[in-house]
Amino acid sequence: MTTPTRRHGFRAASAIILLLGGVGVAIATWVGGSHGWAIAAIVAYAVLAGGAYVWAGRSNDVAALVRGGGDERQRGLDRDATAITAIVMSIAAVLGALISIGRTGNPGVYGEFCVIGGITYAVSLFVLQRRRH
Amino acid sequence: MLAHLGKGSLTHFPYGKHTFHMDNRVRELRATHDLSQGQLGDALGVSRQTINAIENGRYLPSLPLAIAIARYFGSTVEQIFVA
Repeated sequence: MTTPTRRHGFRAASAIILLLGGVGVAIATWVGGSHGWAIAAIVAYAVLAGGAYVWAGRSNDVAALVRGGGDERQRGLDRDATAITAIVMSIAAVLGALISIGRTGNPGVYGEFCVIGGITYAVSLFVLQRRRH
Repeated sequence: MLAHLGKGSLTHFPYGKHTFHMDNRVRELRATHDLSQGQLGDALGVSRQTINAIENGRYLPSLPLAIAIARYFGSTVEQIFVA
């Protein structure tokens, strides 16, 4: 006999975030004068939101995270994936800053990303080491 | 018991100078109690996938979850998770 695993989280969580993001992108694009792209953006985000809602109804690790739920192992997977993403983004920012300095003598926006990343890491360490786990 | 079995799956993990080989009896106890992975997961507040990962040595549960598993089966952590 099998019993469906209890579903944690809120099924529409990621769909709502995607829709809100899509509305933001669409408004910015519309204000920027590209009305066609604005409509395309909201349609694309709506499709993605629909996909996220459907996926969130499944019973697997990714679906649990799409619902904003998940148990300790699934949240660990999310943390690891987030950390890997941050490492790759950091490397991209540093390489971008170096290339930008080589081309223009200025790190540009990549330098700002490096500063934000560095400060965020330092503040996070400071706060997290005081937290009781 | 310490076992120097080298690196590999999560059941072999380094700790200081030693490498532990961690086995567990979750599958055996679950079968004894005639439970599915989903039912045990529901009882413990975790997913079926996590029970599966624990049974197959792909995931070492946190201490609170290990204690919850032990209490659910009326046993101790040391009797279920053997290193």
